[in-house]
Amino acid sequence: MIERKERKPYWRHTKWQVLASLIPFLAIVMVLPLYADQLNANRFLGFPLGYFLAAHGFFVIAVVTVASYVNRQNAIDHWHGAHEDV
Amino acid sequence: MTFGARARVVNPRLGTYFSIFAALFTVLFLLVLIFEQLSFSEAMLQLGFFVGPILIYAGIGLSVGSNDTLNYFAAGRRVPAAYTGLLLAASAMGATLLVAGTGAFFFSGFDALVLMMGTLTGFVVMAITLAPFYRKFGAFTVPSYLGRRFESRALRIASAVVVAVPMLLVLAAELHMGAGVTGRLIASNPDLIVCVLALSVAITTAAGGKRSFTWAGVAQSIALFLALLGVATTVSVIVTNLPIPQLANGPIVRGLVRNEIHEGLQFIGTWPLAFELPGDGFAVLSKPYTQPFGAVGILAFGMGIFAIAAGISTAPWLLPRVAATPSVYEARKSLGWATVFSGLALLTVSAVAIFMRDFALDAVMSERLGPLPKWLYDAAAAHLVSFDQTATRLGFAGLQFDRDGVLFALPVATELPRAFFYLLLAGAIAAALVAAGATTVSLAAVLAEDVVQGMSWEPSRPETRVWIMRVFIGIVALCGAMVAIIAPTDPLRLVLWALSLTGASLFPVMILSVWWKRLTSTAAIAGVISGFGVGALAILISEVGAISVPSPIAGILGLPVSFALAIGLSLMRTETTRHTLEIVRDIRVPGGEIVYDREMQRLQLRKHGRT
Repeated sequence: MIERKERKPYWRHTKWQVLASLIPFLAIVMVLPLYADQLNANRFLGFPLGYFLAAHGFFVIAVVTVASYVNRQNAIDHWHGAHEDV
Repeated sequence: MTFGARARVVNPRLGTYFSIFAALFTVLFLLVLIFEQLSFSEAMLQLGFFVGPILIYAGIGLSVGSNDTLNYFAAGRRVPAAYTGLLLAASAMGATLLVAGTGAFFFSGFDALVLMMGTLTGFVVMAITLAPFYRKFGAFTVPSYLGRRFESRALRIASAVVVAVPMLLVLAAELHMGAGVTGRLIASNPDLIVCVLALSVAITTAAGGKRSFTWAGVAQSIALFLALLGVATTVSVIVTNLPIPQLANGPIVRGLVRNEIHEGLQFIGTWPLAFELPGDGFAVLSKPYTQPFGAVGILAFGMGIFAIAAGISTAPWLLPRVAATPSVYEARKSLGWATVFSGLALLTVSAVAIFMRDFALDAVMSERLGPLPKWLYDAAAAHLVSFDQTATRLGFAGLQFDRDGVLFALPVATELPRAFFYLLLAGAIAAALVAAGATTVSLAAVLAEDVVQGMSWEPSRPETRVWIMRVFIGIVALCGAMVAIIAPTDPLRLVLWALSLTGASLFPVMILSVWWKRLTSTAAIAGVISGFGVGALAILISEVGAISVPSPIAGILGLPVSFALAIGLSLMRTETTRHTLEIVRDIRVPGGEIVYDREMQRLQLRKHGRT
């Protein structure tokens, strides 16, 4: 069980982690489609680059975002003693 | 009722059980393949592929029946992350994104990525901002969570009514789509098929509620992935010699880019707010595959991603799933798996669309080089394609594809044995069943827990709760079937409506309920109701044609209103009590007791104290 005085630092830490995970990801979501047309002039593995990044690239980015968040947030939980007992 | 750690131990034999199921499903496919070569009666094989899997799902659902509330409403809180993720991905996709999504990729190419980017963004947002906290709270339904979190019965009932609408829409869409798919497998009256599917969902889930749905749903998801990946990989090996359909189609895309324009497909420009994903029925190809923003305008693309993401991340038929994971850590991991599985499925779907584009291009180019390919006649006989069989020149304009038949045209176009065609159909039926099951169980839980027993916090006897929910599973399945029969609408459109309505009504309040302590219950009620009202109104007005925002994503216009009202009203009058503040503090820390269970025990103690 988390100590009382650890709650505030724990939540501050968590908030920073969430921002660090979400903001780059959401920025990519918004920016990637804008440049798809120009990127399509290039090729990668036969795919037009814009399409490849928006489909395969975006999938990889999403998985990496969640995986890194799960890993980091778990470390934060343990650091502040906020993790579950099970 | 005990909530000890022992009750939450994960069953170590799960892997064995589901390997057995996967083996059974494969054996069914191989048997059909063999019997087909022995020229067995085709109708028998089709019936076998329809009835066999459904009997297995029902068997699984019935065999894990239970009368314990924790089992019935949260699958015993012992579903490991990977299984939860598989279920989340499959129930978010459903038959609609699988079948109509393939069609959307086929017709719109790049623009259909709005579906994929929206779904993936939704899962990422859910993983980071909602799922772990919802799991720590541990409520069985979203309205229960909101009601307990803000200690407001009015909010509980209001949100129950609001979330029922999108869930019913999704249920109707899935049953409609499922019936359409089943109609290709067995010739029967479509209304009858809708009823059979609804009945099968009810039988599968009634015995053990969420527990039955979980394990039958995992089997259905495995069937979906086996069918989709199996057929796509086979086709990929035949066409490109590589067994990775998602990546190996690059050279084909290059061929499409080079030849489609040459064969008469023009780049088309649309205005930024257009959202023209293909509708139900037959259509001709109109834009080159990789051209961005030819069917969906750039603004609508961004709005669409946002609407789908907001809807997926707070979907009341997806979010309660994470309450069934054994721990907060597992809840986070399960969303990672959901991202992996849904991304994999949607990439495969896009690969299927690309292979089909290539076959269509071949057909268009072929009559200069020789006669039309044989598969076109087979596909036309199966009502997947229509073209003028007497015409001398078959351009892109003369070749029409059924949006909901593109996926199933793939094995026909590759001239694989019919068994592959049946396998894909069985996979799509499984997808319809898993999404229909998810909505049925969640909607029944909302109606039973939050509407019928919503006036009182004190839980009734466990058997009463379970039996009320069991009755509602039947009622919900019946209502879903009725809506699907009376108002058959394009399922893709229905699902997009449902997602944008959910995003508008629930997303702001759900996010704020975790991340902003000062949100008050009055503001939350106003947020939920106004978001829903404005969203529904926007959809109606857009259907009439009075505003230029396209109706599939118009619902999201309610979201800013909901945010503004929730924040504004909270700032005007602060009324958070000590107890709610304590609840928020507890939600934010993974360790410690599950909030919902603690609250329920407290209420029961109070009840005993009174009597």
